[in-house]
Formats: sequence, C-alpha cells, structure tokens
Amino acid sequence: MAKRDQGEHKAAPMVEEVSDFEILELAVRELAIEKGLFTADDHRHFTEFAHSIGPLPAARLVAKAWLDPQFKKLALEDGVAASKEVGIDWLNPTGFGTPSDYTDLRVLEDTPTVKHVVVCTLCSCYPRPILGHSPEWYRTPNYRRRIVRWPRQVLSEFGLQLPENVEIRVEDSNQKCRFMVMPMRPEGTEGWSEEELAAIVTRDCLIGVAVPHPERKQNAARPVHKAVHPVQHDH
Amino acid sequence: MSSPTRQQVLRHIELVGQLQPALHQPQHAPFPEAIDHALFRAYMRTSHDVGGEPDVPIQYEEKEEEQWELNTYVTCECLAWRGLWNAEERRRRQNVDLGQTQYLGLPYYGRWLLSAARILVDKQAITLTELITKIDEVKKRYE
Repeated sequence: MAKRDQGEHKAAPMVEEVSDFEILELAVRELAIEKGLFTADDHRHFTEFAHSIGPLPAARLVAKAWLDPQFKKLALEDGVAASKEVGIDWLNPTGFGTPSDYTDLRVLEDTPTVKHVVVCTLCSCYPRPILGHSPEWYRTPNYRRRIVRWPRQVLSEFGLQLPENVEIRVEDSNQKCRFMVMPMRPEGTEGWSEEELAAIVTRDCLIGVAVPHPERKQNAARPVHKAVHPVQHDH
Repeated sequence: MSSPTRQQVLRHIELVGQLQPALHQPQHAPFPEAIDHALFRAYMRTSHDVGGEPDVPIQYEEKEEEQWELNTYVTCECLAWRGLWNAEERRRRQNVDLGQTQYLGLPYYGRWLLSAARILVDKQAITLTELITKIDEVKKRYE
C-alpha cells in the first residue's frame, strides 16, 4: 500500500476491497514511470500544482474589477492580461513548461439585464488555473445537455430565479477558450475592501449559477458524494 | 489469468446486454441503400455531443475526489507534458473513441484512465502483455 501514494502524500488506509480503477491507475502510472515516459518526480510536481489551484484568483479578479474601473476595462478586454494581475500566468499556468490548453480567457460581465453562465457541452473545459478543478455537476451530461436549452429552469434549480426581463447568455467553453463570469456587485457592500469582496465571489458565482450576496461566502449547500479512498491532502 | 467458468461467461454476456443502449429498431448491419442522409448524419453524431439533448432535472451534487482520480488526472497531464499526446488527441480518445456505452457508463476519470492505458499500448510504449501482466501483479498486492 505504501507505493500507492508516492512522496509526501499520506498512504490511504489498508483496505481489502480495491476497485478496478485503482488497480488500472497504479498499473498505468507505474508502467509509464518504468518506461521513462515521465518520472515519479514529474508526477509529484504536477500533483503539487493540482493541489495549489482554486477559485480565489478569479474571485480576486472580480473584486478588483468592482473597485477599479481601469482594471475592469482590462479584464473585459484581455482576460489573459488581467489574470496575470492576480498571480495567474494563463499561458504557462504551472510555471514549469507544461503544454497549455489555456490560450484565451474571457471575462463575461453581467448587467442588470444580462446574466451569463458557463458550460462545456462537449466535455468539461473549465478555467482550471484561475478557478481550480471543476465541480462534479459541471461535468455531468445532465448539466451539459440542459443548460444550453433550458437555462432559466436549470438556474432556478441552482436556486437562482431570474426575472423574465433578464436575458441569459450561455457560453460554451472549448479547449482553447475558457470563460469566467463577472457578476454584478451586490448592494450592501459599499466601502468593502478587495479581500472582503473577494470572499463573497464564490465558485458558483464565477461559473454563473449563483450571484454574490453580502452574507454568503459559500456555495449553496448540496449533497456531497463521499469518496471511498479520498485524496489525502490538507487544503 | 484464470479462465472463467461457463456461469461467469453467461453472467458477463447478460450484463453486457443490459448495458448496451436500447435499440428502437432492429439493426443488423444493413445494406448501404438503407442509410439515407438523415440516418447517416445521425450515425455520425459522436457520443459526447450532448448539448440540447432532453433530460430530466436531477439533484446536482458535489463530489469528494478519489485518490485514483487525482492520480489519473495527473498521469494524463504528465503524458501531455512529456509529449505522448496532445490536447486534441486526448479529447478524441476520452470523449469520442470510447463509444456511447462506455462514454455514459463509466465515471468521468474512469474514461480518462482508460484512454491513458490505451494510448500507451497504441503508441507502442508498452505491449498489451506488459499491461495485463502489470495489472495482475498489482491485483496480487491486494490479495
């Protein structure tokens, strides 16, 4: 079992039942390393990157744009340049020369009459470097099937009821072009700092299935499917 | 690998039959003229092209990540980093080449993992025998 999680990762507890995916994963990874396709160190290195990403940079980008009209202009014109200002090198997100799918980032500005929401109908393209890993529901065929055709209904299932006069624009991500939503700054946040504002721009707000609220710092509560052997890492 | 019993084989065939997409009309490799333009186009649809398909509301859930899922993600990225495949190829293998049954039937990272195993064999980085031997060896560690 010790070999299962190499390096710093704590080994999962010894179990009797092991899934076919776990066996195949080990087999593929070990063969790739034995054949020199990549090294165990490469794997560790990339795992660290995978642990390091999350929605905070995108939340900061939005908060910054709410406070600074010049920065907002930059964000809407050039998402790649704006992401650099919040510490994300969009074209080289890992910083160690991995090939990047990330060639374009567009920031979608909500207005009183336009609400944006993001999907990837063909797979699960997502702005990982600036938003972290996509939630499970974003990857489901169900969300991908329905959000493009019944966006108002799907958003209401997420708890977001929009008036009829608000137009909903669904952006379909692809390999080269990713999107994030810049929601409207809610009332009741006058005089707030960038940090305070960023705290209410949740992942769901950045995908577009929720809007910020001065008293909400978490995504809406929904069931969490537990892992059998969860990732061992302290985020 | 040990050979399965007749009963195991029958159970396998039955399960496979249940997993395959339902056919609304008999299909037995028809004569060419049976395929008109509309049918041809419909057959050319890839299984990942789901946008706009009808579906009923479900409870959207968050999910805790399995260790093997994270490892699979990282393995796929490392294979890209070291040049074994590119983004387009990965997508075709993970989303299209699997076919409808596996595409909809396997977990998200299960598809990634299968495509990673296959690329190693297809690009002759390993032989199928090496893969099977390794899988057996890994299985034995848990016995």
